[in-house]
Amino acid sequence: MAFTILTGDSFTSAGIGVKIPLPSSADYFETINTTQMGLTGTVCVRGEWYGPKFGVGASAVNDGIRWRKAGSSAILIDKFTTSTASDGFTYVTTSPVVEAQSASAITAITNANPAVVAQTNTYSNGDVLQFYNTTGMLQIAGMNFQISSASGSGYTLLGLPATVSNGFAAAGTAGFTRRISSFNAVEPGFLYITNISQAIQAVVSTSVDPSSHYAVGMKIHLSVPYSFGMTQMNQLTGKILAVNAVSATANIGAYNLTIDIDSSAFTAFAFPLSTSSPTVSLFAALAPAGASTQVDPVTGVVTGYDFQKQPFRTGQFVPYMYLGGGAASPAGAALDIIDWKAYKFEK
Amino acid sequence: MSRFERLSTDGGQLDGSGIDPASEVPVRTDIDATMEIHAKSIVTNEQVILYQNSKTLTKFTALLGQWLREKEDLLMRDLFSSSVSYINATGGLNGDQPSNLSLNDVNNIENILLGNDARSMLTNLEATLKFATGGVRDAFIALANTNICADLQKVQGVLLKAAYPTQEGIRPEEYCSISRFRFFVSSKGAKTPGISMKGNTVYTIPMYGLEAAAKIEQNNYTAVIGYRPPWVVSSVAQNSQLYAKFAIARAITNQNWISGLNVTTFQPS
Repeated sequence: MAFTILTGDSFTSAGIGVKIPLPSSADYFETINTTQMGLTGTVCVRGEWYGPKFGVGASAVNDGIRWRKAGSSAILIDKFTTSTASDGFTYVTTSPVVEAQSASAITAITNANPAVVAQTNTYSNGDVLQFYNTTGMLQIAGMNFQISSASGSGYTLLGLPATVSNGFAAAGTAGFTRRISSFNAVEPGFLYITNISQAIQAVVSTSVDPSSHYAVGMKIHLSVPYSFGMTQMNQLTGKILAVNAVSATANIGAYNLTIDIDSSAFTAFAFPLSTSSPTVSLFAALAPAGASTQVDPVTGVVTGYDFQKQPFRTGQFVPYMYLGGGAASPAGAALDIIDWKAYKFEK
Repeated sequence: MSRFERLSTDGGQLDGSGIDPASEVPVRTDIDATMEIHAKSIVTNEQVILYQNSKTLTKFTALLGQWLREKEDLLMRDLFSSSVSYINATGGLNGDQPSNLSLNDVNNIENILLGNDARSMLTNLEATLKFATGGVRDAFIALANTNICADLQKVQGVLLKAAYPTQEGIRPEEYCSISRFRFFVSSKGAKTPGISMKGNTVYTIPMYGLEAAAKIEQNNYTAVIGYRPPWVVSSVAQNSQLYAKFAIARAITNQNWISGLNVTTFQPS
């Protein structure tokens, strides 16, 4: 029964959740907070995760064994889910995925640009969340959004210009979210559209930051159901001229792509009303349609090709281990040095 | 892969003035994909080898062969579910968003594909003089999870496989024909739990025509199966190893010719 360290490394914590790809899978995973090991804070200094091969002793989702201190040098050993509960380990084996965790309830979503969500949460900046059952804003139920300015009581959706003129007559009053993987199983993936401006070079707002998925020169194919107003844009293909180059204003979100389609004479884009769900056609989305590569024979400069973003390729490597962030979690607090090791045995 | 887009059909008539029409610069679209290698191995202990070597290795080789093609299917499924824009079904009556599948939803996708000049994948099946059968039009392909089979049976105008005019050449995984689509089902079909408006599982149904997507293989790397003897694998020569690996690149080659539906089931699943 060989039991070996498959891989390991260290990172400096930013105080947020961390994803560690484990292409060879793992049966046991361990973290050591080397910064806090000799101190006396109220922190997790060591975390252990036991995989399915441990049978009844396997760790539950978002859990694991926590070695912690509580203001002294004494070590207390418990689970991440027990008293002073915190996020633990989540082993994710498929993608795209709703990461295995409990749904989290929303208490409000403002109808403003950007929309601000009130929710008691443990999310981190940059997380991508799936929204559903969003009472008062059912037109976004089923979409995903990237979050920023995250705190324990809420966060901002820079990709959602939820203004009245963009179809949001009222604020959201309830709903649920689940964190999903930041990348699709295959990249570049489709993105949800939250607005399209009427301009000679249309500005397409997206629900997540497109700079992680698309680059200048790539082409996108747009799917805009009739319920979103700008029917002339449906099934058109355009080339990306700029990424996140337009500041958020009016109905344009902070996450946007400028494309070479003249939409100035098109009808206005707007979400259908919340009251139209569930019978209204959803969602507006864009998908990758190749690129238009060009070479300047004088300078030899190639434009329209970004080898990191253009090719179809695996997006989110699986399996991966998600380490919860924060002082009492395996990924630690900001500036903590975390060592991690992944083991596997054969039996 | 590169594709030259069709030329504009605007203008072009010579008016006798002797002035040449302006030439058009062809537009090329480049489709790129990364060649990726996937592998799997099985370790066999010498205590198996001593007693049942040939049987075990034969069985394990077959298992690895099965893994090769299953993995390939899953990789293509992931491509379809990740890199295509889907439209929520709304014609069903389950009150969810997306709804369960309806004929109107299927026809909507047919309109999209026909409007984009997509070409059907399968030729028609000519009607015959058999009771309870009907002809099948040339069709596009739709791939679905087995969990929506109950809903497929209820769609208006559905022609179940048994009612095709012939069963020759019909694959076991084919389920039915609706409008211009022939539906193929798999338990591994794409689904995402808990993301409908009501928090139910959403099933993704890619629907596409000819040459909408590509699976590119690498010469001599489509299906590599090998054996590593015990003296190579183990320091005490007790474990041998069988492995399989393959290289694949995948791409959506033309977004105009692929679309699809997100659906939920009539009964939550």
